Amino acid sequence: MVENSPAPLPERAIYGFALFLGSWFGFILYLIWAYIPETWLFSLGLTYWPQKYWAVALPVYLLVTIGIGYILLFGINMMSTAPLNSTHTITDDYAKKQQQKKFQEEAIPALRDIPISEVNRMFFLPEK
Amino acid sequence: MAERWFRSASGAPIALRRRQHSACCRELSVRCPRLQLRSLSAVTSAVWLAAYGLFALSENSMVLSAAIFITLIGLIIYLHFVKIDQESLLVIGSLGIQVTSSYASGKESTTFIEMSQVKDVVINEAIHMQEVIYYLCILLWDPGDPEGVSEVVPLFQSSKPRLDCLIEVYKSCQEILEQRKPTPQASGIK
Repeated sequence: MVENSPAPLPERAIYGFALFLGSWFGFILYLIWAYIPETWLFSLGLTYWPQKYWAVALPVYLLVTIGIGYILLFGINMMSTAPLNSTHTITDDYAKKQQQKKFQEEAIPALRDIPISEVNRMFFLPEK
Repeated sequence: MAERWFRSASGAPIALRRRQHSACCRELSVRCPRLQLRSLSAVTSAVWLAAYGLFALSENSMVLSAAIFITLIGLIIYLHFVKIDQESLLVIGSLGIQVTSSYASGKESTTFIEMSQVKDVVINEAIHMQEVIYYLCILLWDPGDPEGVSEVVPLFQSSKPRLDCLIEVYKSCQEILEQRKPTPQASGIK
């Protein structure tokens, strides 16, 4: 209950079995709705079920949504990428507000965001 | 005035030419590969084949003349607005930085940035179309923040040189920029 491990627990086994039974029940119900003729359902008293058109339309809608979802996710990713001329490629709000700690001898230097000019000088200019 | 050959990000050969006009003035130009005859004929053949297919379907001969017009006008628009022949960077120590792009039709487009606005010229890495590329850019001072950057101006956008060429350009620019007196931004009113 307290730990967050993915180990099997009795409660999880019960949830799993309930989901298993529920999904089988839903599937059998869907098959009944799709295949049994309307007149038989009316004679049983079930007159207000949705049209059988939806038994075919909803799966098709779902599959098309999944296909479009791939393309949409790809497009959203590309749109969210910062353009080359934006300052977000260089810095962000956290780096602008960071505090500069004093350098102490024989201590590990504090973690900070190094400005890009300094990084460039270190990488690309020859050692003096 | 030496010319060295490098590769662009897509693998095409590009040429970098460095000219030193004086002690604090340098010009670096990158020449992109010219329009290839094979790609031009491939595109023209594709358009004309498609037009011939449409003509065979519709029996309308205007399709063929329209295809010829489209090819000609498309080529002119491409050469004048899209195809960049040479991009150059002129760094004048006390004055500023001038960026020029010359198109294949002869048109030149120039931008000048005053030295008081320029914070630094750096090589930055960013994600561009499912790739991470290195590109050279000019950082401009932020008037409200002494350490901040207000704008990033990317350079060499169509020739897209690789890191080895960018390092050469970076070193040349830094030699000039180091000679500046270390002053804060232009309007140092806080």
